[in-house]
Parts: sequence; structure tokens; C-alpha cells
Amino acid sequence: MKRKTFILSILSILVIVSLIFTSACSTSSTSGANSSTAANSTPQVITLNLAGENNTIDPNRASWTSERTIIIQCFDGLLTFNSDLTLAPMVAKEIPTVANKDISADGKTYTIKLKNNVTWSDGTKVTAKDFVFSFKRLFSPDLASEYESFYSDVVGGDAYFSATGKTDAEKQALQDAIGVRAVDDYTLEIKLTDSLPTFTQLLALWPVFPVRQDMVAKYGDKWAQPDANGAMPNYIGNGPFILKEWVQQDHYTLVRNEKYWGTKPKLTQITFKELTDANLALAAYKAGELDQSGVPGGTEQTTMNDATLSPQILRFPTLTTYAFQFNVTKPPFDNKLLRQALACAIDRSAYINQVRHGVGKVALSWIPPGMPGFDATLGTDWSFNPTKAKQLLAQAGYPDGKGLPELKFQIANTGANPTIAAFLQGQLKDNLGINLTVELMESKAYSALYNAKQFTWGFTGWGADYPDPDDWLPQLYMTGAGNNKTGYSNPAFDAISKQALAELDNTKRLQLWAQAQAMVVADQPMIYVFNRETFVLQKPWVKGMVTSGLDGNVAGDTFLRNVYIQK
Amino acid sequence: MGRFIIRRVLWLILVLFVVLLITFILMHLVPGGPWDREKALAPKVIEALNKRYGLDLPLWRQFVNYAWGVLHGDLGISYSYSDRTVVSILAHGIPKTATLGILAFVVAQAIGIPFGVAAALKQNSAVDYASVLFSTVFASIPGFVLGILLIVLFAVVLHWLPTSGWGSIQQLIMPVFCLAALPAAQSARITRASTLDVMRQDYVRTARSKGILESTVRVRHIFRNSLIPVVTVAGPELANLITGSFIIENLFAIPGVGRLFVQGIFARDYTLIMGGVLFYAITIALLNLVVDILYAAIDPRIRYE
Repeated sequence: MKRKTFILSILSILVIVSLIFTSACSTSSTSGANSSTAANSTPQVITLNLAGENNTIDPNRASWTSERTIIIQCFDGLLTFNSDLTLAPMVAKEIPTVANKDISADGKTYTIKLKNNVTWSDGTKVTAKDFVFSFKRLFSPDLASEYESFYSDVVGGDAYFSATGKTDAEKQALQDAIGVRAVDDYTLEIKLTDSLPTFTQLLALWPVFPVRQDMVAKYGDKWAQPDANGAMPNYIGNGPFILKEWVQQDHYTLVRNEKYWGTKPKLTQITFKELTDANLALAAYKAGELDQSGVPGGTEQTTMNDATLSPQILRFPTLTTYAFQFNVTKPPFDNKLLRQALACAIDRSAYINQVRHGVGKVALSWIPPGMPGFDATLGTDWSFNPTKAKQLLAQAGYPDGKGLPELKFQIANTGANPTIAAFLQGQLKDNLGINLTVELMESKAYSALYNAKQFTWGFTGWGADYPDPDDWLPQLYMTGAGNNKTGYSNPAFDAISKQALAELDNTKRLQLWAQAQAMVVADQPMIYVFNRETFVLQKPWVKGMVTSGLDGNVAGDTFLRNVYIQK
Repeated sequence: MGRFIIRRVLWLILVLFVVLLITFILMHLVPGGPWDREKALAPKVIEALNKRYGLDLPLWRQFVNYAWGVLHGDLGISYSYSDRTVVSILAHGIPKTATLGILAFVVAQAIGIPFGVAAALKQNSAVDYASVLFSTVFASIPGFVLGILLIVLFAVVLHWLPTSGWGSIQQLIMPVFCLAALPAAQSARITRASTLDVMRQDYVRTARSKGILESTVRVRHIFRNSLIPVVTVAGPELANLITGSFIIENLFAIPGVGRLFVQGIFARDYTLIMGGVLFYAITIALLNLVVDILYAAIDPRIRYE
């Protein structure tokens, strides 16, 4: 009898405990999944999917596109991009150029005049000091910002960033020596060590958006973190939206900044959910809980054939190129003719149809269409041509593949990657009669192998940080550059790149980059395969959506301020 | 009994230390670190990040610092979730994961045990066949497949329930059912088998021949004895439900620890991995202890000195 009650009491404790948990959690309840209102006047609210939890939304620290998605709604930088990816002034009065004297003749000093009507969401003015603070904080060795390296040309920046082991006094001296200062409340001066014309583009990126010194002073690096209830009282920005709450791992709620200094957005609220499962996101979209959603990989064709869903497809190219890249420092891939032969053996159209289910565009060169530097004529010599592939293979010293050592291909075992590897295997077998050994690896293990340049042949992709060849060529192909994993080294390319990086005449600069890209493509350190396309579903009542090649995982995130709802 | 529990808890502390040490060693043996990614970070950035998170220290120092922190209730800060403390991440996620696991456990037993007993008492009847069908179907459908089917039916087609998320009772129904399906099926099978086994025991025949009421025989002699194997699997089952809900949390976008822990492994978020392992190890160890205590309560032959 006693024992029976003991078991019963254990069971009832379990039930009670679970009920307490449930009720405790419902108090911190989210705005609810089924809050789609039935009001007659169309509420200007939109629900999108961010598909994952952010590391940080501190502008100085952020580095991922989903982090940028939140930051660009809440902050305005000195400059911004138009939808055609040209620059436009934002907090700055005009785009700095040599002609308007905002850039000195040697290209090393930027004097930027700010608008005097820009305010923070609490009503105080945005001044040059806010930008000075942000720049200096970006270079802080203790902050360890991942995008610091983009701004290495600022005088004193790197010296301060590298001062990790130094005393506070030494750090302070180095921080004071950084070449960024406020000449007056509305004039900002930035000094560079070298002429860098694309520095204007860097001024449009989030790492140098203004940051409130008083918030950082008071709350330290946690100023961009929610409190226990998910509220974001210290996250003060100067953008069109205010981040009201961030319920971690669940959702973000942004509301319109009613004190916005510019044209107020039409949307009064944006909710970003964090649904990581693609099947769930699509179900939530169909159930009316999301206004935009991706589709699970592999269902693109079915979606296009679906009478209800096909009119809701929103697709546009993003500035991303994928390629099979060689380690050109090791045999057999140090043989240029072999690389060219392999390039000619791959049917990119079949790739897009079979692996990408019809979404994406064939790429034959590195810089993607839609941005300066793209050249449609480039790389056509190495497009799909099995006959030429066989000839090149013979010229490379391996007629019909005879004498060819075992070819190995490494790839991270995630998403569609195993399919990509199988495709490549099939193409080499069918078109050249040669075998390929595939090595699937856990993704961090692959990254480690790849960064240590121990791979032989791998798969890589590159997305634009900003739409300029500066972001696409020197970082990947200059001798010893940070993201040069192929080991490619070409003195002629290095020389022309150095010249292009500093060239203030834009026409001349782009001509130099065109020559540089032609050199790389001829050497085929990578086989260029395809340019990515964003493919999402969007409800018909979402209007005013402007997409751009810079958009992140949320289609149209760059210009959400123009969007409205019309039912 | 008291001394038994104290001894077990002391052992637990030693076990946790060893588990942490092994996890720490394995984590650092696995290729790839938190800053390895395809788009490489500049070496100076990696250096600054290592300094910020104390990863520039020798490994033994890192472990000593970590263990010292654990003794003071400090599990370190996460690298992949913007310096949130691991304690706050776990405090945020554990109530959700635990609610989900415990509810699923209660539902599983509430369905499985009565179903199993009924099937055994009326062997080869319609109830029995229904029980076998139920346990075969739910033991073989993977949770995520069942989850998607439920979402499509109840959220997309019927609009009865929200697809996902956390905060309301409605949002709990589908994930709890998905998690409960497999253990309910297992529980029904085990209960049925053990009840059938007990029914054929001599002491049951003896009880009946003594003329004891059938209902008393069923409750006192059959049911209670048939529960022993059920309790044996219930402990690991509950531990499994609490620690193994990653797929369901991910599918239903539930902000629990399972999802974070698995993402932490992929991100090589060392402190988060250690924190998760610690939580799982404590959960499993404590539930095993509870099961051992329950044995003594159910089976008079078991005594702990």
C-alpha cells in the first residue's frame, strides 16, 4: 500500500512539474504563431524567416548575412547601396570623390560632411563623434571583430588591433593614434595608409555603422544583447526600424522608428522567425504564418509546376559564384592543361538541371553577372566541350587518361554536397573516362584541411561583401592572400592587382581588373560552375519588394523599408 | 537507503569529472576549431579571438580554468552565441527541453501501459491486435516523418494548430505527441509481454485458487509485478526523451537545449559542448538513481543496504 502511493506520488510530481514548466513558459510567450489578424484595414506587418540564431547583432562585430539582415533595418551608415548596386549617400551629404575634394588628390584622406538632421531613435543627433567611436571600437583588440581586416588601410588600425598583449596605457595610445577624427560635429576625417578608391564601398557596410558610445560605456559588449525578457532597450540605432525584442532562438520583433529622420517606412512591424527546418518553413508559409519562405532543396521544380505556388515564386540572381578549386601547388593539378581539360569536361547546364533543379546560371568566369567586372565573353574557351577536353588531356600528357594518378576530390558532407560530388564523378567518367575518388568530410574538418591548404581538389563558393572586383580578385588570387587556397601565384597578376587597387580613375581601374581576371580564368585555378539564384515563395500581398544581389538569406532584406502590404 | 544515495551522488561527481575530461580531450582531437570556416578569417583576427576566449593558453591550463569555473557554477561563455554565458543559455533552454521530455514521457506511459495491460488481459482479441498494430506503426515511423505529417495535416490542411514555436499549449501538442509515439509503442509492447509472463506465474495461479477476487489478483499480483521491466526501461527512456529531442526541437523550432547543443558541436563551440554534456550526464545519472530507488519500492526482494 505504502509503495503504491509512493509510485503514485512520483507520477503526480512529474505531472505537476511539467505543468509548472508549461505555465512558466507561457508567461514569456511569443506573440503567437496564429496572430494573423482578421482586421479590415490591412495591418502593415510582415513575418519573415531568418532561419537560424545569430551570433551577434553588434555592427562592429557582425559578420554573417543573417546578422546584417537585422542590423541594416536598425542602422544607417555614411553611405548605402542603390538597388542597382551603385552608391548613394545616407548619413553623409554626398559620396566622397576626388572631384568634390572629399578625397584628397593622393587618395589617402577622406573628409566626409554629414547631414545635420540625422537622429538616433531616442531623438539625439548623430554626429561625427559617433562614427569616430565606431571606427575605433572596430579596431579594438579586445573586441576581435571579424571584419576588422577589411579596414586595414585606415592609419593605425592594424597597430591597435594587434596590441592584444599590451598594457592598457599602450592600447590607449595606439587607439588615439588611429587616423579617424571628428573635425567638427558634422565633419569626419579618415586617413588611409594607401590610396584605396573602393574605401567608399566599405563606408556603406555595417561594421562602420555608427554606434552609441554611452550604451557601450554603460553595458559593455552586452549593449547589443536582450534582457531576460527579450527586450532590447539599449540597442539604439539611427535606422528606419527599432528592434523591440529578440527572444533568443525564437524570433525578432522590429517596429517602425516613429522618430526616423528620413522617409518613414510603410511597414509598422517586421517579425523575423527562426525556423531552421526547410520543410517546416514551407508548411508555416502555406499555413499563413510566414509571408516569405524558401523551399526545401530539391523541390524547386515541383514548386514551379505547382499551379498555386508558381505565381508566388520570387527568384533573382545573387552575387555568388561556385567553383571546383584545385590545389595548384601539388601534382597532378599543377598541370594547367589538365585543369583546362577537366574544365571542358563539365557540363554546367546539366549541373544546374540535375543538382540545382533548374535554379542558377552557368558560370564560366569568377566575377558574377550584375556587378562591375563581369565579362560574359570570358571563359568561353573552357566551356563544356568533350572533344576539346580529350585533346587537352592528351596534351597534358595523359592520352585517354593513361598515366593519370588517382584524382581525389574533397567536399564537406552537408546539404546537396554529396550530390555535387557524385555529379562531378559522373561527368569525368562519361566525358573523359577517368575515375574520381570522393572524400566526404565533416564540415569543420573540411574547412581545417582547406585552410591548411592540404586539399587536392575541392568545392568553394564566394559571395560579395561589396559589389566590386576588389572583393573578388586580390583576396583570392594574389600570391599568399588570405583567401588564396589554391596556391595560385602569378607575378603579372600580382603587379596588375596592386596597380588596380590604388587606381583612382574608375574606368582605368575596371580595365585593369578586367585584364587581371582574364589572366586568372586562362590559368583555371578553379573550374567556374554556376552563379546562385535566390528562389523563394512570397505572398501576393507583399508589395514594393525590391531585390538586390546583396540580399542575404531573407530575399529583399536590403530594401525592406520600401515594402508595404496590400490585401 | 540514505547511505546508498549519498554514495551514488559522490560517485556521480567523480563520473562527471571524468566525462568532462574525456569530452575536453575528444573536442580538441577532432579536426577543425571554432574559427575554421571556408571564408578564412585573417590570422590577426584569429589571434585576437583566441585571446578573447582564452584559447591561446596551453590546453591543460584551459581545462584547469574550466574545471575551476565549473566548481564555482561558471560554465564559461559561448563563442558562437555572442558571449552569452553557457549557464544563461542552458537556463533558457532546459525548462523547455525538460517540459517537452517529461510531458512526452507522461503521455507515452499513459498510452502505453494501459494499452499493454489491456492487450495482455484480452490476448488475441481486437484490443490486442490494435495494440500490436499501434506499437508496430509508431515504433517504425521516424519522429521527423511523423512530425511533418502532423504539421501538414493539422496546421496546413485543417488549420487547427500552429505549425511550430513555443509558448502555448497548442504549440506543445504535436511535438509532445511526436516524441511520445516511439516510447508509447515500446511501453505498450513491454507491458504486454511482461503482463503475459506474470499471468502464467505460479503465484498468480495460487492467488486465484485461494479464491481472491479477480480484480485484486489483477491489480496486486499481476499489474504490480509486470511493472518491473517497464520501470527498468522507463528511466533510460525519460533520459532519452530529455536529452534526445534535438530532431523534434529543430523541426518544431522549439528553443530548447538539444538544438543548441548539436549546433554547438558543428560550430566547435567548446564551452557550449561541455555545458551540454554536463547537463546530459547529470540528467542520465540522476534518472538512473531514481530508477534504482523505484526498484526497491516496487519489488520487495530488492533492498539497498
